[in-house]
Amino acid sequence: MTRIVEIPASLDDRSFEQFADSLSAGDPGAARPLFDARGVQWASPYGLVGLLTAGQAWQEARRERPLFTVPAHDDVARYWARAGFFQHAADLFELHGKVPKVKVDDHSDVLLGVTPVRASEDVHQVVGMIQERASRMLSDKLGLDAKATMGFAMALSEACQNIVEHAGTGGWVSVHAYSYRKRLGRRVVVIAVSDAGVGFRKSLEGEQARRYGDRWSDGAALEAAVIQGVSRFRDPGRGQGLAGIKRYLARWEGKLSIRSGTARIAIVPAWDEDVPLTEHLAYFPGAQLQVTIPASQVAE
Amino acid sequence: MMIQKIPVDRVLREAVATPYRDLVTRATGAAVRIGIEREIIAADCLTTLLDFSAVGLVDFSCADEVVAKLLLGEALPAGRHVVLWGMNEDHSEAIDHVLRHRDLAILVLDGEPGGLRVLGRLADDPAAAFGEVRRAGPLNISALAAELAWSLERAARALETLVLLRLLRAEDSTYRPVPTA
Repeated sequence: MTRIVEIPASLDDRSFEQFADSLSAGDPGAARPLFDARGVQWASPYGLVGLLTAGQAWQEARRERPLFTVPAHDDVARYWARAGFFQHAADLFELHGKVPKVKVDDHSDVLLGVTPVRASEDVHQVVGMIQERASRMLSDKLGLDAKATMGFAMALSEACQNIVEHAGTGGWVSVHAYSYRKRLGRRVVVIAVSDAGVGFRKSLEGEQARRYGDRWSDGAALEAAVIQGVSRFRDPGRGQGLAGIKRYLARWEGKLSIRSGTARIAIVPAWDEDVPLTEHLAYFPGAQLQVTIPASQVAE
Repeated sequence: MMIQKIPVDRVLREAVATPYRDLVTRATGAAVRIGIEREIIAADCLTTLLDFSAVGLVDFSCADEVVAKLLLGEALPAGRHVVLWGMNEDHSEAIDHVLRHRDLAILVLDGEPGGLRVLGRLADDPAAAFGEVRRAGPLNISALAAELAWSLERAARALETLVLLRLLRAEDSTYRPVPTA
């Protein structure tokens, strides 16, 4: 038996909730899912790594590959191919439809194609690859000070390390630049990191659940980690990765959002109208993090 | 030998056996710190200069593993000092952040010998005392108390804090800048 999982025509961190709803609708464990991407016209890096995470979680739990239909629009399918999506999707999904044969392209607006993160060496590779490209993009296209580059690479490194340190399984990272005119009217660079691991709640449960009692939830775990800087380790030096990302974002008017389990938290800059904490969302495995750096207003 | 200089990029290459020049991830940081600790113990010098001049990026997690945990660890006996050298603004910012988080401080050498500054968290009195020793050179408790119009107890507390943090060197009853050359 097959169950259709709808993918929104425009898949980003907001419309991701429609996808998560569809994924968890009915009896999600009963039938093999078919991820229907035929009608998709655009996907952010958050959408792409989220799709892979859904496939990974299903495969790790059921030992079978879910089905996936490739976007019908050739341009969309080509973009996804250039962004490295199909290269990894082929291992996780049974792909249906025409997958374009194009090279993964890290030189256009795709600063970093979809890249697996499993170990410390992967973080080194990612940071090493991104610096020169990020420098060009942040200064030339976004009009940010050269100082923004190092902080950007640092934020990327810390975001990827969350997978290595806490997820208990592998994950994915991707970095794109695109025009965000609908909500912001400017270009942005977006770091998206997603894993199918244990999530923030389970990661922090041993140290924090008793303190919170009945209030312990995905939302409480996200608040503890992101707002209070709590870590599952007793070492007081831990928990500095997210603190470092927040510090960087405060300087460059950036936005951080993290979804884990059934909750989503956001550090919202003045230009955005997102809500700080959303709970009781459809369950989605692991953790999904997005960092958004906007172009300077002068550059636009 | 009084002074030992350790190129951190070389320790990094040896620790991870690859040509990386970025100090990122806790695993890498821990491996680099262990390498540095070994060299400090083997050389047994008064001051160790950690040379960051050929290091690329330093992230917060790695800064915590390398620098903060080095200061907290047992490989650094009392009376031994660590000074950071060849730092750029980004290195300084990451290391300052993690040291403040742990209430620690470390010396940084910029340019000429004697041009020492402090990264991390230092309370007002020790900071004033450090500035006075840097300006006037070696001094004792009563000289500092007279210069800053403090009580002897206050001056003694500030100087002892600086010694505990390895930011000054105490010899007999005189407090001196850490030797770097």
